[in-house]
Amino acid sequence: MKALRIAAVTVLVLAALTALGAHYIAPAGYEHQFRETPAAAPSSHHLLGTDDLGRDRLARLLYGMRVSLLLAPFAAGLATLLAALIGGIAGYWGGWVERCLMLLVDVFLCVPWLFLLLTVRAVLPLNISPEASVVVTFALLGFLGWAASARVICAGTRDMMKSEFVWMARATGFSGLKLIRLHLLPNLRGTLLAQFWISIPVFIITEANLGMLGLGVAEPLPSLGSLLGELQHVVTLRPEPWQFVPLIVLIVVVSSFQTLLNKQEVRA
Amino acid sequence: MLRSFSLGLLRLLAIMLLASLLGATLMRIAPGFTSDEQQLNSSLSSQSIQAIRQARLADADILHYYRGYVVSLFQGDLGVSQSLNQPVRDLLRERLPVTLRSMAIALLLAWFLGLALAITTQMFHSGFVTFASEGLSGTFISTPAAVLALLFVLLRLPAELAAGLLIFPKIYRYGHNLLQQSYALPHVLTARAKGAGRWRVLVWHVAPTTLPQLLALVGVSISIAIGVLLPVEVICDVPGVGQLAWQAAEARDLPLLVNLTLVVAFATVCATMLSDAARRRFTRAAA
Amino acid sequence: MKRFPHSNLTQNRSRLLRGTQFLLMLALLVFSSAVWGQSGGELRFCLSAEPKTLNPLLVQDNQSETVAYLTSGVLLRVNRITQKAQPELATEWKVLDGGKRIRFKLRSARFSDGTPFTSADVAYTMEKLMDPTLHTAVGDAFRSGDGRVSAHVVSPTVVEITFAAPVANLVNLFDTVPIVSSASPMKEMAALGPFYIAEHKSGSHILLKRNPYYWKKDSSGRQLPYLDSIRLDIEQNREIEALRFKRGEIHLINIVSPAIYDKFSTQDRSLVQDAGPSADTEQLWFNQVASAPIPAYKLAWFTSTNFRRAISEAINRDDLARIVFRGHARPAIGVISPANKFWFNEKLKPHPYDTSSALRRLQQDGFHLDNGVLRDKGGNAVEFSIITNAGNIARESMATMIQEDLKKIGIKVNVATLDFPTIIERITQKFNYEACLLGGVNGDLDPSSQMNIWLSSAENHQWNPSQKLPATSWEAEIDTLMRAQASSGDEHKRKQDWDRVQEIAWEQEPFIYLVNKDALVAVSASVKNAQPSALRPQTFWNVEELALK
Repeated sequence: MKALRIAAVTVLVLAALTALGAHYIAPAGYEHQFRETPAAAPSSHHLLGTDDLGRDRLARLLYGMRVSLLLAPFAAGLATLLAALIGGIAGYWGGWVERCLMLLVDVFLCVPWLFLLLTVRAVLPLNISPEASVVVTFALLGFLGWAASARVICAGTRDMMKSEFVWMARATGFSGLKLIRLHLLPNLRGTLLAQFWISIPVFIITEANLGMLGLGVAEPLPSLGSLLGELQHVVTLRPEPWQFVPLIVLIVVVSSFQTLLNKQEVRA
Repeated sequence: MLRSFSLGLLRLLAIMLLASLLGATLMRIAPGFTSDEQQLNSSLSSQSIQAIRQARLADADILHYYRGYVVSLFQGDLGVSQSLNQPVRDLLRERLPVTLRSMAIALLLAWFLGLALAITTQMFHSGFVTFASEGLSGTFISTPAAVLALLFVLLRLPAELAAGLLIFPKIYRYGHNLLQQSYALPHVLTARAKGAGRWRVLVWHVAPTTLPQLLALVGVSISIAIGVLLPVEVICDVPGVGQLAWQAAEARDLPLLVNLTLVVAFATVCATMLSDAARRRFTRAAA
Repeated sequence: MKRFPHSNLTQNRSRLLRGTQFLLMLALLVFSSAVWGQSGGELRFCLSAEPKTLNPLLVQDNQSETVAYLTSGVLLRVNRITQKAQPELATEWKVLDGGKRIRFKLRSARFSDGTPFTSADVAYTMEKLMDPTLHTAVGDAFRSGDGRVSAHVVSPTVVEITFAAPVANLVNLFDTVPIVSSASPMKEMAALGPFYIAEHKSGSHILLKRNPYYWKKDSSGRQLPYLDSIRLDIEQNREIEALRFKRGEIHLINIVSPAIYDKFSTQDRSLVQDAGPSADTEQLWFNQVASAPIPAYKLAWFTSTNFRRAISEAINRDDLARIVFRGHARPAIGVISPANKFWFNEKLKPHPYDTSSALRRLQQDGFHLDNGVLRDKGGNAVEFSIITNAGNIARESMATMIQEDLKKIGIKVNVATLDFPTIIERITQKFNYEACLLGGVNGDLDPSSQMNIWLSSAENHQWNPSQKLPATSWEAEIDTLMRAQASSGDEHKRKQDWDRVQEIAWEQEPFIYLVNKDALVAVSASVKNAQPSALRPQTFWNVEELALK
């Protein structure tokens, strides 16, 4: 297990460094179109080949990693925070507070939020920069992605409130924020971390799916999600193995995060 | 008991009505509500285009529409789909069984695989097992639904299995964390120290602690399944409710969307209410 | 699932007829030479969405149109190869009063339930079609002026239709008019075409069966169609459609993407065909609506002919055709593609790709380059957005390539892909956009079908719709020319007028036409007598002659 954790840390450090150093590794940039070599196979000039418009795939992967691996955790953090807040308050107070908040959660889970995303996109200026629009998209995903976890956190908090150690803490005078900070949060950490790490790839892929409706990353800025979207054509018609590299990168990065998470959870 | 049942029913109705009204309102304020593809048909006259636009504006007042809809709902009339020109009731009657069947199979697979892997990693503290489980979970959580669904079509495998594989990582993740916490509890450690076998520890000491929270996850997993089935049905052309929902969103089909929101709300809330009830009963029995 | 049964009496009669036919066919099979190939079989292909209606008079979408094409009888049919009208239910016709009247002589035929076809059915169809509460493209095409359209039954086999004013392209318009029965208990579901609708499962498929009373016979006297049935599967995903074709589960793909075309042609060249340039267009236009919520300086750019011509010259159309469409497209010249043999203006050539010329034009309007950034005379950096429909890979790619092309002359372009209803709202109602990239589907070859694009008062005059008075002199000239050609019966004069409209559009470029895509189709080797056309419906326009090996 120690070797696995070292490998996981190495992978994550490498991913971060290559994403940050994209400009040096792939100086052509993610948007330059080498129009004489569209859809080219890997070569010494283009290590992962080019896409249908002749753009270097390696450059797009590195810049895409930067976008997705920076913003997806931000959205996941936002969603987890909201879930912890609402689920935690509901579980802590119980009674009518819990009933009302869980009602809100259930309504939230059933509403088709796609139309809110469309409305927000409509309100944004058409000339908004791709960077700004992708930040807004991920922020929205974070604001909308908390409901499913809030239920689980509420259930966990509620059960913890009935547990012996919380009874003891309350009997010794702990209450309110102090009780939450010193007793509830540490015991919820595992659940919260699980929610956080699961959400990262979910948001990356949701961003790709939203691209089909014009709510993803604007061209020419790449994201891991938009690169994964290209695989829809690879599966049936063009089995070019190098097109699977973004998927492999995502799997390796997510698995590395989860390997480290296991260590944190054991410690907690 | 009767009071509890009545409150539950009221809650269900309230959520269904609120969710569908909110969904209808969001659709109304979203751009493109009054648009119709026919407006770009250059063969249509100006009067025809105006008439088409007016027809779309008929449902513009969302409260008025919703009032009329609720009244019709209690008479059993779910309205007519604007995009498919068929009664919504007929569409739901044809498509719901398809989706329910897909959901049942997907959830069974997801829970079986998720729990099996979570239990295996905790019971057998093997680096290889953990690595394989994490890898499998990481792979399917990172794969877009569309890609997996297409792969399954390519391999002539049922779409429900693709949906199951997309849901299981979340169940595995929660299950794994819950089991990990439970195995670290004092009474479990004591049982293990006293020589209790793996299965005995799992069934008699770990399961009672984790089951309430796992039951809470059941309700959530149903709403996750609904979310996963939508792209899978669209990609694999399964004529279920998910495909209908996508068409409703694309065409801004208000009658269809309102009814689908009702159906989703009903399914989600029933599932969470049942899982909450089961969890409470289990906790009471354990106490 | 709905089934559509015929009456018992009819079924008995048809059983007897089929039995006799079977014996005759058996004899023919033994002794005749099989020029037409094996009979029977079920042709299978896909519809990309659920048809919105099965009533042929209410057709609005492509899928409903496909079903109507396969089941409805028409008075005449435009041959998709020769582009000439040929007799169908009408054996002869005569245009009178310069296009104000048309008289048809009808053949003897029966609907799919045995109900006889007469001139009363034509009159009934026209009455239904011209109902003021019905809003269809087919009906609107006949509304040439204020006043009623009337159909007069001269005899059971002769009918005369009178219009309020002369109708341009009158004859060919009847290619799109599905004749429905006035007497059949099955109403509009009784079919005069080669097939009738036997089964419809929502979200799954539509099954069409051969019409036992179909009037058409082949050259050896054998009744058509050759096929027993057609199964239309509802398949939204083009990748899966291609996969199913590769597996032999379907026989045709009406529109194949360039990527799929290239993939199939490397595996088996005979699977796919390039039927040549289609009549469809892809174009970019700028918002010129005076009241649009865009800055005044941008409106000034977009309304300048020099600006539009410069943008056009800065776009590399050859690259668009080569890269986005993999060579299965060609630079467009104007609204009419070379596929439209009669109406295409051969004197016009594509605008050249010339960035130097583009910059010179811009300089004439006071633009200048400042550290690689193009600025107008007010010092504003030239930056605008192009909207196009999300999910359309070709258009997204074209927009991205145009973004890169215009970067070379210092213009910053932002590409915003939006879902289709949002785009429609922006370009037809709110006008809150700057530039738009969309395509045009030209089903009708005649320029009169484009009145609602080129008239300045029209709703679909996309760059500046519904004008009370023409905003420019060239738009006023186009208005005059379009009205003249619509009311003239002289084909030569109409051609001259329409050629001039194309020249003005070429000079002023309110639409910057990008490419004309080729019609790419896939036809299985087991299908006989297929003659793919560049015009819709590409692969099955002669469905009654198709056979399976």
